[in-house]
Amino acid sequence: MIGGLFIYNHKGEVLISRVYRDDIGRNAVDAFRVNVIHARQQVRSPVTNIARTSFFHVKRSNIWLAAVTKQNVNAAMVFEFLYKMCDVMTAYFGKISEENIKNNFVLIYELLDEILDFGYPQNSETGALKTFITQQGIKSQHQTKEEQSQITSQVTGQIGWRREGIKYRRNELFLDVLESVNLLMSPQGQVLSAHVSGRVVMKSYLSGMPECKFGMNDKIVIDKQGKAGASDEAGKSSGKQSIAIDDCTFHQCVRLSKFDSERSISFIPPDGEYELMRYRTTKDIILPFRVIPLVREVGRTKLEVKVVIKSNFKPSLLAQKIEVRIPTPLNTSGVQVICMKGKAKYKASENAIVWKIKRMAGMKESQISAEIELLPTNDKKKWARPPISMNFEVPFAPSGLKVRYLKVFESKLNYSDHDVIKWVRYIGRSGIYETRC
Amino acid sequence: MPYLGCEETVKELKRALSNPNIQADRLRYRSYITRVIRSMTQGLDVSALFMDMVKASATVDVVQKKLVYLYMCTYASHKPDLALLAINTLRKDCADPNPMVRGLALRNMCNFRMPGITEYIQQPILTGLRDKASYVRRVAVLGCAKMHSLRPSTEIDPSIVNELYALLRDPDPVVMVNCLRALEEILREEGGVVINKPIAHHLLNRLKDLDSWAQSEVLIFLMRYRPRGDDELFDVLSLLDEFLQSVHTPVMAATLRLFLRLAAAHPAVQADALLRARGPLLAACGSASRELRFAGLCHVQQVLRSQPALYSGQYKRFFCGYSEPGYIKLRKMEILVELVNDENVVLVLEELKSYCTDVSPELAQAAIAAIGHIGRTYTEKCLDILTGLLALQQEHVTSAVIRTFRDLVWFCPQSIGAVCRAVEVCGENPQDTEGKQALLWLLGMHGEQISSAPYVLEGFIDGIKAELSSAVKTELLTAALKLFLCRPAETQDMLGRLLHYCIDEESDMCVRDRALLYYRLLQCGVDEARKILLGPESDPSMTVLAGRPEEPVGCWASGFNTLGPLAGADAHPDAPPADSSAQHCHSTEEEVVSKPPCQPGLTLGPPLSHEAFERLWVELRVLHRQTLGFPPPAAPPETLQAVLQLVKVQALAFSRCEARPWKAYVCARAGSTLVLAELLHGDPAVPDSQDALLLSVKQRPENLQAIRGFVSVLKTSAVQVQGQKSVT
Repeated sequence: MIGGLFIYNHKGEVLISRVYRDDIGRNAVDAFRVNVIHARQQVRSPVTNIARTSFFHVKRSNIWLAAVTKQNVNAAMVFEFLYKMCDVMTAYFGKISEENIKNNFVLIYELLDEILDFGYPQNSETGALKTFITQQGIKSQHQTKEEQSQITSQVTGQIGWRREGIKYRRNELFLDVLESVNLLMSPQGQVLSAHVSGRVVMKSYLSGMPECKFGMNDKIVIDKQGKAGASDEAGKSSGKQSIAIDDCTFHQCVRLSKFDSERSISFIPPDGEYELMRYRTTKDIILPFRVIPLVREVGRTKLEVKVVIKSNFKPSLLAQKIEVRIPTPLNTSGVQVICMKGKAKYKASENAIVWKIKRMAGMKESQISAEIELLPTNDKKKWARPPISMNFEVPFAPSGLKVRYLKVFESKLNYSDHDVIKWVRYIGRSGIYETRC
Repeated sequence: MPYLGCEETVKELKRALSNPNIQADRLRYRSYITRVIRSMTQGLDVSALFMDMVKASATVDVVQKKLVYLYMCTYASHKPDLALLAINTLRKDCADPNPMVRGLALRNMCNFRMPGITEYIQQPILTGLRDKASYVRRVAVLGCAKMHSLRPSTEIDPSIVNELYALLRDPDPVVMVNCLRALEEILREEGGVVINKPIAHHLLNRLKDLDSWAQSEVLIFLMRYRPRGDDELFDVLSLLDEFLQSVHTPVMAATLRLFLRLAAAHPAVQADALLRARGPLLAACGSASRELRFAGLCHVQQVLRSQPALYSGQYKRFFCGYSEPGYIKLRKMEILVELVNDENVVLVLEELKSYCTDVSPELAQAAIAAIGHIGRTYTEKCLDILTGLLALQQEHVTSAVIRTFRDLVWFCPQSIGAVCRAVEVCGENPQDTEGKQALLWLLGMHGEQISSAPYVLEGFIDGIKAELSSAVKTELLTAALKLFLCRPAETQDMLGRLLHYCIDEESDMCVRDRALLYYRLLQCGVDEARKILLGPESDPSMTVLAGRPEEPVGCWASGFNTLGPLAGADAHPDAPPADSSAQHCHSTEEEVVSKPPCQPGLTLGPPLSHEAFERLWVELRVLHRQTLGFPPPAAPPETLQAVLQLVKVQALAFSRCEARPWKAYVCARAGSTLVLAELLHGDPAVPDSQDALLLSVKQRPENLQAIRGFVSVLKTSAVQVQGQKSVT
């Protein structure tokens, strides 16, 4: 249970404070500011204990969100609640920044009022919340009968995420598979850890109460079908195409019972944009790029760095927005860079050489070499060599996920699966993509 | 500017709010109300505006209403009389056709924190409990809890409690969970909401419909339920099984905790649950948000306490990322140390070695300490790395390495030679107090193997005037004297100088006394000093048993998924105790701290049946017999039973208080050991039992420490009973 929720800016000024329980006083607000935000040393732990009160905090850009409680609660739950809170706020007004919070503070109080009651989480689905939150301020007595019945039906929780009677002239569906691939590689090219966290984001503009069915190359499903039908040969060939999903979560609209029993994803979609599922894979990841670093120390005042990047996907595809960040020591005095492709620059303020390439096709390689002049220092400390990090965007899913079908059924209105215009797009981005050097 | 010009602002706002022109303009009016709330948030006292705000509450604008209610909830306790004015509007709203307005009004009415309000809200709450909109029912249910918290001392209204128990069957899942929460708060004095068989099964079946927070809360409530018999137990467990794989970390952790508790008597089931939860826990450790990652790591540490081998295959998942915050890196290092085995030791050490050059000195030192810890098992590999680190010639690294050496020499006497060689060639001395002490200890203890020891020591003695820490000075005295005993020729002169300085010029009493002590000791003769100063050394042929013993799951399961694991090493003494389960976890923690870890305190277990007790009593022989030095307590058997229950001792049978001879049979569990005991008094056949109680203990398996713990528990509770009697 949460006793109170505070939002601070980076200076420690309170932007929002909402207290749910009597045992949390005004001094709790100050205690957190003094002990955590203004503390001189680094943050020691996301959970802070001050005078028998626990503070859980999450930082977004330079905004601190803190939940306070005097009870022995389940920490992971409080953190998950804070993330959800951030998600809801982002859904309402975009980025969480001091300015946005100040401008929307009435809205935030309204949200806090609905999400938590007496410190207990009540309702956090953005779609359903929209019924209760009235940013424009509707007048209660002039509501039409229709609107009222809508609220009642949503309030009584039949289908909380979609209202009745939606109509579109063109029925369209947009499906984006967005993945971020994370990698930590040793200097010798050994993968230390790699995982892909992906999201399936949909935008649906469909009339009525359609029933959708979504299929992908999930290993468990493919294997099952392979066993049931055809020869072993066919099963094997399709087995290569399938992926093993480590874990996934769904939007509340997905019927979990069906997923558990037959692993099919069927749902009545909300209207507009929403995140259908989230998943993680750790096996057989296609690493779009390999970074091969070579650092040589020439005496005490010079470093030679050579970095080769190799793209590892179909030659017909193009990667975009490629950026390689090669860290340099603090006592760098000058850098000469030669690169065959793209532009490279030494940014003294960031202590790094930033190499940007606009586009790069698959199965290519490109290299950069740099000579770094160092100032002689009497600091005996060895340079810690931070890893080389990389950013990019590729038009495929690094996990290997493929959408097999997306079917729409609407029994009451007269449009069928063929009349719906569907768009599918894959985007793979880099998460934390680091190679040690 | 929260505090400056505050009166000005309040005055200005008051003028504006009472201005009829502004009141007529809806948007402007609302913007002024917004400003009031903003000032309130910043900590300005705007309670003077209460009257104007009450007026503003009579509006059809829902947003304005919400804002005014927020204001009133904050200040109602300061101005109870004025707040009553708003009640009428609120009560009217409670009958509004729009469920949203009804819910809003009811919620805010319950939020007013003033004692007199109860009589006004009782009726609306009761109506709200039967409202057809679930939104209003949710609010009304929690309203019951709020009403109780306003007047905690008053008697509990049984009709409300009954109504809430009935609402547990409500079709809306949130209403159901709110009922549990409300009942828990209202019935706290009586031990919280009662989970009997029908309720438990109802909750288990509804678990799927709930959101993740409600799920994890319900799972905690379910911990109170004890299935009757194994059949029911396994039915419950199979219902819970799917939640063990939940992607929501809190739900998964709560399920695991429930599993461990329900299956306390079935270690195999517990082990299986831990194995199945491994995947989700690892996923939490790799989750995108650092706070969840931290929580995941802390919980993995708990699991490692009893099953260190479970995660050793996955050690790579605990390698640190460059940009991770310090608290995560520290935990990961602690885990890596636990996971080391013959196969991965090389890679883990390689990884830890790369952390030793971390920018943050704290992390670098932690990494070095971690290597030292591994060194207790894999001594040679670690010594190589540690010696290599000395070549970096960085102050904080050298200091940490020397400290690690000191600990390593203590644990692994076979490493003395290598450590002495390394210290010998180390060019730089540590500059911090801890490091200096460690170096001095090494020089004193193993001075005969370090040829440069006298020179290093001389450096310290020459610089003693500049030394601030008295701990270092004391250590220096001891080291110099020890070195003198094994290498007198080289050290005599400087020891003389040191003693002279410390006795004549030193102002710190401890140091001076220590110096005087050594001086007089030397006067008694060198042999005498040697006998006192050089205690027995550790035998180089022996090695320490590596790793700590695996603890039973029960030791930590009660604290799993609470704040306990996260508080971790820098645990605050006043970690917030809260609900009963938390207090329980706290008390076990204290037990573990206060006693040596190998001596488990009494633990809860499934109660022993009388038949089983009788059978065991006949089978086993008496292991321990002692008189307790006090007569049997004169309290009735019921009281005794209650007292013993508190200290986790199960009472099976008592004689009536006046009976001669007086007898009692009790049993308890300490970890896996079962302790059976008989208390006897006034039996003519047994002479020892004439004056005081005679205690006979039987046990399976044998565990002498458990007996000691058991006896001390019995004694304290007997004293308690005596104390109670004297009070009454």
